[in-house]
Amino acid sequence: MSRSKRIIMARLGMDAHWRGSIVVSRALRDAGMEVIYLGNQLPLSIVETAIQEDADFIGLSTLSGNHMILAPEVLRLLHEKGADDIKVVLGGTVPPDEIIPLKQAGVAEIFGTGTSLKKIVDYFRS
Amino acid sequence: MAKALKGDSVKEIAEKRREWMKDCYSKQNELNQSFSSLSGIPIEPLYTPEHIADMDYLRDLGFPGLEPFIRGVYPTMYRGRTWTQRQLAGYGPPEETNKRYKFLLEQGATGINGVFDYPTLRGYDSTDPFARADAGRGGVAIDTIEDMRILFEGIPIEKVSTSLVTCQPICNISIQSMYFANAQNRGVPLAALTGTSQNDFLLETVVTIAPGVLPPEYSFKLSCDGIEYCTKNAPRWNPISFAGYNYRESGCTAIQEVAFVMSNAIACAEELLRRGLPLESFAARLSFFLSGHSDFFEEIAKYRAARRLWAKIMKERFGAKNPRDLMFRFHVQTAGVSLTAQQPLNNISRAAYQALSAVLGGAQSVHVDSYDEALCNPTELSSLTALRTQQILQLETHVTHTIDPLGGSYFVESLTNQLEKKIEDMIGEIDNMGGLVKAVKQGWIHQEIANTAYEYQKAVESGSMPVVGVNCYQIEDEVLPCDIFKIPETLSIQEKKLERIKKERSAREVAKVLDNLERACTDGENLMDVLVDGVKSYVTEGEISSALKKNYGIWNPPLF
Repeated sequence: MSRSKRIIMARLGMDAHWRGSIVVSRALRDAGMEVIYLGNQLPLSIVETAIQEDADFIGLSTLSGNHMILAPEVLRLLHEKGADDIKVVLGGTVPPDEIIPLKQAGVAEIFGTGTSLKKIVDYFRS
Repeated sequence: MAKALKGDSVKEIAEKRREWMKDCYSKQNELNQSFSSLSGIPIEPLYTPEHIADMDYLRDLGFPGLEPFIRGVYPTMYRGRTWTQRQLAGYGPPEETNKRYKFLLEQGATGINGVFDYPTLRGYDSTDPFARADAGRGGVAIDTIEDMRILFEGIPIEKVSTSLVTCQPICNISIQSMYFANAQNRGVPLAALTGTSQNDFLLETVVTIAPGVLPPEYSFKLSCDGIEYCTKNAPRWNPISFAGYNYRESGCTAIQEVAFVMSNAIACAEELLRRGLPLESFAARLSFFLSGHSDFFEEIAKYRAARRLWAKIMKERFGAKNPRDLMFRFHVQTAGVSLTAQQPLNNISRAAYQALSAVLGGAQSVHVDSYDEALCNPTELSSLTALRTQQILQLETHVTHTIDPLGGSYFVESLTNQLEKKIEDMIGEIDNMGGLVKAVKQGWIHQEIANTAYEYQKAVESGSMPVVGVNCYQIEDEVLPCDIFKIPETLSIQEKKLERIKKERSAREVAKVLDNLERACTDGENLMDVLVDGVKSYVTEGEISSALKKNYGIWNPPLF
C-alpha cells in the first residue's frame, strides 16, 4: 500500500490571512492526507522543508497578490535543487489574467476564491 | 410588552399560536431546510408577545441616548447626524493613496479610513526580505515619517477625522506615532486631532498571524500604551477599535465576535485602571469595529444586544457613572468574506443589504465593500459605487427618519435577548480562563475560530448555506464583467526613498532614539512617550519593530 499523500502547506511571505490555508489543511487531513502546516514562509525555507520532508505537494496560500513574485520563485528553487517532482499548487485570490502566466511558470493547479473543498481534496487524491 | 399585556393575554396568545401552528402547518409543508441564524440560533416561523413576555419596556429598552442605550447611543441618531461614510482606501506608495483619499473626499466621503500594506501592518520596512513581494499590497506602504507627510499632504487633518487601520499594536505604536508627529510638524496640536486607531492585540496574535509575532502580553502592553498616551495627549482620538470585524472574517460567529471584543475591552480597561488612569478618562474613547454579515436580522440584533450588554458591563463591573462611558459606539464594515469572485457585480447587492442592517442597527460609521474585492484591490469605479451605495441608503430610502425602527419587533427583540445571553455566557467562560490574554496564550481563541471557520466552509460545501454564484446559480466559463486593479509600482519607490533618507538623516540621532526605546522597554515605560518625538529622526518602522522584538522576544502562536 502506498503511503498517504504528504503536503506542505505554507502562506507566502507576509500575507496575513490564515482562514483558507487552515480550512483546506483540515479538509485534507480529514480526507486522510498528511499535512505539514508551516505558516508564513519565504520560498527558500518552503522548498527546503518540502525536500527534507519528502513531500508530494507544496500548497501555497495567498490573498495579498504576492504570488506573482513568490510562486515562480518556489518553482525556480525546486528546479535548482532537482526537486521538480514536487508539485506546487496555489490557492487564494488570483485574478483571472494571472492564471495562464502562473501555469506557464509551472504551477500545477490554482484554486481561486469559492473553490469547493471537495474539488481540492479530489485533486490531491488523484 | 409584559406591562402592556396582562399575563393571561400572553398565555392566551401562546395557546392560540400553538393552535394556529397545529392547524395550518399540518396542511402545508415548509421547505426542506433548517431555519436558523448564521450563528446557529433556531428561528421560529412566527414571533408573538409570548417570546418577549419578560420584557419590561422602560428597564430593557428605554430611549435613545439613555440607558441601556439599546435603542441608540444618541438621542437624535440619524435625524441629528448621519453616520460617517468612511470608505477604506490604501494601496501602493503613499503618493498614490494620497490621490485616492482626495478623490473620495471630493466625492462626499466624510472621513478617511486608511489601510496599510502587509509589511507596514506587521512592522516591517518595504525593503525587508520578508516584505519585498508584499510592498504596497492590501494597503499603503509606510516606512518613515516622510511617507506619512506625503500620505496626508494637502488634506486638512485638523478637520477630517482619520481612521488609521493600524491593525497590530506593533504597527500602531510606530504608525500612530508618525501620524501624531507629522501633525505636530504641521503645527496641528494633538488635542485637535480626531480619528481612530485600530491597535488590537488579537489581530497580532490570533487573527492575522504573520512572521515574527510578539508574545501576547507584550502586544497587549503596546496596545495599552497607545490608549494611555492618547488619553493623556490626544483626548479626542479613539485610541483603540476592537476589531470584531477581523475576528469574524477569520471565521467567528456573531456571538464569538462580540464576546471577544468585549473581553478584549474588559482586559484593556482593567490594565488602564491598574496603570492608575481614572475610568472616566478613557472609557468613552473605547470604540468597536464590527462586521456586517449576511444574516440580516441576526446582525441587527447583534448590534442592539452589544449596546445593552456593554452598558451593563461598564456599570456593573467597572462602576461607570458617566452615561458616555456606557455607550457602545461602533463602525461597521460589510463582510469581505461574503463577497464572491464569481459574478462579482452581485456583491453590490450583498453589501447594500449588509449596510442596511448596520444602519437599522444604529452604527456610527460604515464602510461598504467594493464589488471587486474578492478579486483585487478596489478600482476607482468600484470604490465610488460603494460610496454611492451608502449615499443612496442615506438619502433615498428614508430609513434614517425614525430611530431603531425594528425596536419592539417580537422577532428582533427575542433574537436580541438570545444573542445577549449567549455573548454574556461566553465572556464568563473567558473570565474563568483568567481573561482574554490568557485565553490567547492557551490557544483557546485560535481553536474556537478555526473550528467555526471549518464548520462555515462545510456548510457552504454541503449547500446548506447557499451562496449565489458559488454553490447555486453558477455560470460556466463566466466572462469577468469588471476591470482588475493593478497595484502601482511600490517597492522601487520605497527603496529609493529609504536609501535617500538613511543617507540624509543623522545616524547618531536615530541610534539615540533606539537606545531610548530599549531603555523604555526595559523600564516598562510607555513607548509612545519616546516614539512620538523619536520618529521625527526618520527612524524606520522596521528599526523600531526590530528593537521591540529584541527586547520582548518572539512568540510561536499555537497551531490551529
